Amino acid sequence: MDMQYKEGINGEVGIRSAGKGKVKRSDLFVRFLALVLTLAAAVVLGANNQSTTVSVKIVPSLPPVNLPVTAKWLYMSAFVYLVIANAIACFYATMSLVVTLAARGGKKNVTLIVTILDIVMVALLFSAMGAAGAVGLIGLKGNSHLQWGKVCNVFDKFCHQTAAAMILSFNGSICYLLLVVLATINVYKKF
Amino acid sequence: MGSRVSVTTSPPPAAAQQPVKQSALSSQYKNNSHPVVDLALRAFLFTTSLVAIIVMLISKQTKLIQVTPGHAILLTGKFSYIPSFIYLITALSLVCLYSIITGALSVLALMKPGGISTKLQFHFVMFDALLLGIMASATGAATGVSYTGIKGNSHTGWNKMCTTYDSFCFRAAASILLSLISSITILLLVLLSTHMLYKKTTRR
Repeated sequence: MDMQYKEGINGEVGIRSAGKGKVKRSDLFVRFLALVLTLAAAVVLGANNQSTTVSVKIVPSLPPVNLPVTAKWLYMSAFVYLVIANAIACFYATMSLVVTLAARGGKKNVTLIVTILDIVMVALLFSAMGAAGAVGLIGLKGNSHLQWGKVCNVFDKFCHQTAAAMILSFNGSICYLLLVVLATINVYKKF
Repeated sequence: MGSRVSVTTSPPPAAAQQPVKQSALSSQYKNNSHPVVDLALRAFLFTTSLVAIIVMLISKQTKLIQVTPGHAILLTGKFSYIPSFIYLITALSLVCLYSIITGALSVLALMKPGGISTKLQFHFVMFDALLLGIMASATGAATGVSYTGIKGNSHTGWNKMCTTYDSFCFRAAASILLSLISSITILLLVLLSTHMLYKKTTRR
């Protein structure tokens, strides 16, 4: 009578242990996926450097001079915020995975606290995504009204890597949203 | 004989269920102020998002700048010049409309004798979480752009804007602060609805 397999609505299999708690495999899988995605996003953006040269005509008579320019993720505060937010989300995913696995047979309050922190993580990750997206869009297209020129024609590898990191971070935040929805569905099915 | 004599007037067993159930439910409703707090938060959300929209819409600024003596150029600052602020206004109007709809649903559910139904709460949580994501991303986008406008970015050659457009920047900052308050309100709403759902399941 220790382990009972119970079929959910969509055919998900839940493991009921001897205690009151029941942890669904889908919940653990999505949490692990969120860990992987946010870790990947933080690493991809954290290793984002590009050095290139720009030819500038200083004096019209002389041939153009090649100036070395560098682009680092540290130069834009929105990208710093994205890396930090993804690092926090990755750390939290590890902690909550450990806590969820350890408290399987136990109290209800642990699930509630984990769900509350999941909701906070959703807000954090979405806001970081929005900030980096806005600044990246200005870098891509420029803003003629504010006299801000575009940057991505020079630093194309930097821009592509930033876009990849943003896509990974977006998928991570969708995973967290899915975790909130799954927790709510679990509670609703018990009712 | 063992006959039971009950001092209080106990109702006959056939009709025992109905009055007890109603009094239990109304006592649960009286002790639990959650639906009222929910409605108050939604009204607050409606107010802050509406004021944020209005402040952003009236933030246009035109300035006459003397380039050289005798020549003056007209500079305008409008929210529609910056795509992030357009996104912020879109998200705020979506939140405003959503708060009207769910506020009305909340009021209708309050007036029913059974209190708020669980299915409605479940839908509230899901849509509130989704709207939290949208509102947080709009706030983040507007904050990112306005931070760049205030401080400039020497590495990319983007210069400061808020020394020129001071009134526009001030009103935009006020609007962003109000949208931050509304996103925190949506966060509190999601937490409240989740807590309500958990309390209902642990009680039963």
